[in-house]
Amino acid sequence: MERYELIVVGAGPAGLSAAIEAAKAGMKTVVFDENAKPGGQLFKQIHKFFGSKEHKAKIRGYNIGETLLREAETCGVEVVLNATVAGVYEGRELTVMQGDSIKHFKGDSIVVATGASENMVTFPGWTLPGVIGAGAAQTMMNLHGIKPGSRVLMLGTGNVGLVVSYQLLQAGCEVVALVDASKKIGGYGVHAAKVARTGVPFYLSHTIVAVHGEDCVKGVTIGEVDAAWQVIPGSEKTFDVDTVCLAVGLSPMAQLVKSAGCEMNGIVPAVDAYGATSVPGIYAAGDVSGIEEASSAMIEGRIAGAAAAYQAGYLEKSDFESIVTAHEASLGSLREGMFGPKQRGRVQTVTEEGIVLSQSLLTKGYLDESDLAHFPSIQHGKTGVYPVIECTQNIPCNPCQDACVKGCILIGNDITSLPVINAEATCTGCGMCVASCSGQAIFLVEEKPLESTAYVSFPYEFLPLPEKGDRGIALDRSGAPICDAEITAVRTGKAMDQTHVVTMKVPLDYASTARFFRRR
Amino acid sequence: MRIKEHPILGATEKGATVTFEFDGKPIQGFEGEPIAVALRAAGVMVHRHTMKEDRPRGIFCAIGRCTDCVMIVDGKPNIRTCVTPLKAGMKVETQYGVTAKKEA
Repeated sequence: MERYELIVVGAGPAGLSAAIEAAKAGMKTVVFDENAKPGGQLFKQIHKFFGSKEHKAKIRGYNIGETLLREAETCGVEVVLNATVAGVYEGRELTVMQGDSIKHFKGDSIVVATGASENMVTFPGWTLPGVIGAGAAQTMMNLHGIKPGSRVLMLGTGNVGLVVSYQLLQAGCEVVALVDASKKIGGYGVHAAKVARTGVPFYLSHTIVAVHGEDCVKGVTIGEVDAAWQVIPGSEKTFDVDTVCLAVGLSPMAQLVKSAGCEMNGIVPAVDAYGATSVPGIYAAGDVSGIEEASSAMIEGRIAGAAAAYQAGYLEKSDFESIVTAHEASLGSLREGMFGPKQRGRVQTVTEEGIVLSQSLLTKGYLDESDLAHFPSIQHGKTGVYPVIECTQNIPCNPCQDACVKGCILIGNDITSLPVINAEATCTGCGMCVASCSGQAIFLVEEKPLESTAYVSFPYEFLPLPEKGDRGIALDRSGAPICDAEITAVRTGKAMDQTHVVTMKVPLDYASTARFFRRR
Repeated sequence: MRIKEHPILGATEKGATVTFEFDGKPIQGFEGEPIAVALRAAGVMVHRHTMKEDRPRGIFCAIGRCTDCVMIVDGKPNIRTCVTPLKAGMKVETQYGVTAKKEA
């Protein structure tokens, strides 16, 4: 039996962070992961993260993964792959399966960071090849470079459903619809809006009636549900698809903490502020102790790793306390806002600023024109080029504030506040705010009344990239074609990190509605 | 089905092109990618049929958790094709129940 001062189970964002923090303090640390590659789900996450600079906001998930791996290597963390931890026993002993053999290990401390697994729902045809988890779609597209299908229907409008739908579009798949039994879109409005403006329809209060096909998926029928979640006869709609993607939530993978005898709090282990479970020396961090984002998992991991190091005498009390204080403040700011854990299950109608929330955004995935006037950052009719910030929910995110060197955009210390336009500052039209907004919610507009035209700049992350001189059709927020458009500029830069800023010329009347472009 | 160029990830890095066998037919894929990915690229959707009701199954979770995509690989049944790297000359067969041949 081999002994380590710290054994971490799971090389995802939480596990790697815990291992780094402990190894930095001097602990002999090993991480076991059942997969062939480390990083957990980070390498499938190709969108820019939310939060602020300390949370690595506006950096894409896979780049955050690379940084974590490098840090782990520098700190001397040993990462053992293709190693499945099969059980945690008394005295913090572990059995680890590698190939066809089982080895025994002992940890002075253990951090369980096993993450979560996807939930499923059943309906006639749900076992047909072509019905897949949203995570499977992400794995196929972003790790292995293959489309899961050509025409896809997504069930679930939480952030996973919204983000994976967008990724399907980026991979070149057609997304025929986003469906959710709930009355409201569960994820961030900005994630919904960037999908909606490409023309994907949302069907809220709808569920899957059946998936059709003999050997694999050939189609799917959805129907509207009533208050008792029953399908209303006559409301059925059928789509020709070859893939149905399920994004119906995640469940913590708590088998190991349970088998170790940790006290449970429902489906998650009961933990203190440092991630310590009821069993001395065993910690839990990341999704296993409650489903959140990778950003918060990384912080929980850091805290648990520091706690294990302090417990083992590798950190002075004062050093430990200062590490924890900084991380707790950072974690706290991520948990604020209308999507934070404190708000779960509550019906919200206004923002923290008291502005009435857009019901259109919550049910159709895009802002209605009648909503625009309520939000001061959605400007119109100004002279010169100016930013239009269609960020209307309190989510923890502030890269736009740092992106503008002129100080046009103000969020303040509370990172869930809606952005405010600084009337004193002048926009130069550089487009950095457009590219740095993780929610792709910022546009630049320049109205030219004398020419009867307007120039609208918008973020673009698809192929082929439009070119200057291309003619096509401008789409509104719902993805409906509204007018002719000509591409006048395409800006690309290292700092923009693959979010290109495309400018199109449209008739003046469409300055506040044209938000996307499609080639003819 | 392969993504030639991705707007964020660029071109996908792949191993050497190799030939393997699927139910007796030669198919090409990239060395080291999951068997299931090579099959998906070749248009194969059905990996196995269930024992009791003979229902088709294919990729479901793609991360080795659900075991829906298991097949017979080089004579060994119940191999999770979504996490098993492809090698040249592999013999991959549709699994019926836990065997290679449909029982009469």
